Amino acid sequence: MNVKKLINTKTQDGRMFLALGVVTVILLVCCVAPIGIYNKHIIIQTMFYAYMATAWNLMCGYTGRLSLGHSAYIAVAAYTSLILYRSFDLTPWLGMLAGGVLAMALMLLIAFPCFRFGLKGPYFTLASIAVMEITRYLLTSMRELTGGSLGMSLPYVKDDLLMFQFDDKEPYLLIILIFWLAAILLLWKMERTRYYLEAIREDDDAAAALGISVNKNLIKAALLSAFLVALGGTFYVQYYRYVDPTTICGSTMALNLALITIIGGSGTILGPTIGAILVIPISELLRTNLGDKLSGLNLFVYGILLIVMIIYMPKGVISIPGVLKHKLAARSAKEARGEGNG
Amino acid sequence: MAETILQVQNISKSFGGLKATNGVSFDLHQNEILSIIGPNGAGKSTLFNLITNFYRIDEGDILYKGKSIVGLMPDQICKLGITRTFQVAKPFSGLTIFDNILVGCLSKSATVEEARSKVDGILKMVKLDKKADEMGGRLTTLERKRLELGKALATEPEVLMLDEVMTGLKPHEMEEMMAFIMDLKKRMTIVVVEHVMKVINTISDRVIVLDHGTKIAEGIPQEVMNDPQVIEAYLGRSASHA
Repeated sequence: MNVKKLINTKTQDGRMFLALGVVTVILLVCCVAPIGIYNKHIIIQTMFYAYMATAWNLMCGYTGRLSLGHSAYIAVAAYTSLILYRSFDLTPWLGMLAGGVLAMALMLLIAFPCFRFGLKGPYFTLASIAVMEITRYLLTSMRELTGGSLGMSLPYVKDDLLMFQFDDKEPYLLIILIFWLAAILLLWKMERTRYYLEAIREDDDAAAALGISVNKNLIKAALLSAFLVALGGTFYVQYYRYVDPTTICGSTMALNLALITIIGGSGTILGPTIGAILVIPISELLRTNLGDKLSGLNLFVYGILLIVMIIYMPKGVISIPGVLKHKLAARSAKEARGEGNG
Repeated sequence: MAETILQVQNISKSFGGLKATNGVSFDLHQNEILSIIGPNGAGKSTLFNLITNFYRIDEGDILYKGKSIVGLMPDQICKLGITRTFQVAKPFSGLTIFDNILVGCLSKSATVEEARSKVDGILKMVKLDKKADEMGGRLTTLERKRLELGKALATEPEVLMLDEVMTGLKPHEMEEMMAFIMDLKKRMTIVVVEHVMKVINTISDRVIVLDHGTKIAEGIPQEVMNDPQVIEAYLGRSASHA
């Protein structure tokens, strides 16, 4: 690999690695800096959503198959690792992998028929929501296994890396940082697949005519996405030490992933991260400052922000530099022509 | 005679009660340009879709280099060396022109880097090198046609199937495109679906004529154009008797 190219900030890869470096350094500094537990919590939440939205984007942003039911895969893994831990004392690190495999199996169950028969657009989205709803009803009704709508808590034992339990926030912050870095690097390494997925998103017939296996690539992206969000599901349980069907398998979680990605820039490597950095702290601040006075106002502001974004910046915040550059270039070209005429 | 690269044997396809392709057979010889002509709705584009398996044939067989390709997915057929363009150009609108071509180049490249190194050559060939950074959705008709051709060429095909690449072009653009296609013939075998008679007469080695899904004539262009059955298909019965 050409290291020179990676540290050259004029290339796209170089800029990405610069961003990764900056975020990593800031988070490491946050780990040791005395910034208070609440702020650390916001940072962890932001990175959690950055990671989850990156995983969502891998399938939905790149292929244009909009899943609004990704919480199903998150929930399956969260409950799997939690139940395995409670019943068999299995370390969540292994439970997480088991959850990931189950989430992939669930994804295959829906993705295979959907992609095989060319379900896309709103129809695919509806199917994805249906999977989420079914999963939530199952989680709610299998009371003996999952605790039903009361949810299930994680028994706290001790501060232990093997058991994925910590007293302080810092280890969680480091773990989610590693998850996020791994997801971004994975996406970056899949350059060929990214091109394939983008081509499929734009036009699957045209993609097939150029030798791209549409179904194979769609399923690959879907499985990988399900596996990654599943790992996040276990992180969620270990961090909050409690899950219930509505929170983890509800539409809020699923919609959040979509909104963050769209606001940041879907179909780009760093878009979801930018979205999370913008959205999560703002929504937390709105919630803590407005939530008690006018409950619901935070969601209202959130909604307005989203509408403005979609109207004025459909390609997300990440597109701003490109748009500005284009405008500047157009203006200087106009001026150059003006001088020529004068 | 040159070697036969593609053999279409008695293929048929129905959509409901409509027989879109009815027992069509023909051979394609290495490095020739074969034109497929016929009135609107004759089944020309359907034939393209059947050969590249965008539609599945009901009956018959298609042999590429002696082996049946029936049942292979469109992407596998492209990988074997048969690439088609679409009548209505399908650019990847959200990708740059460079990336549009790059996606095509990936099919015969081991690495993305290798594919990237091929793009400029193809952009120059189809005269889109100055537009490399523009988005695929922002092109004129001519540029779209060129991009469609560039994407197909990027897959390094042995058989190139062009569906109405001349439609909508001005006369001088057409001349340019004809010269380009005739030049391509040195490197590959070409099948074109075309409406413009001047183009067919100039570039084709052989012509087959379809009408209502059936092959009604085959031969060198001048011969076929004078065939009464062909004239009838295009102009009606009284014209052919006149």
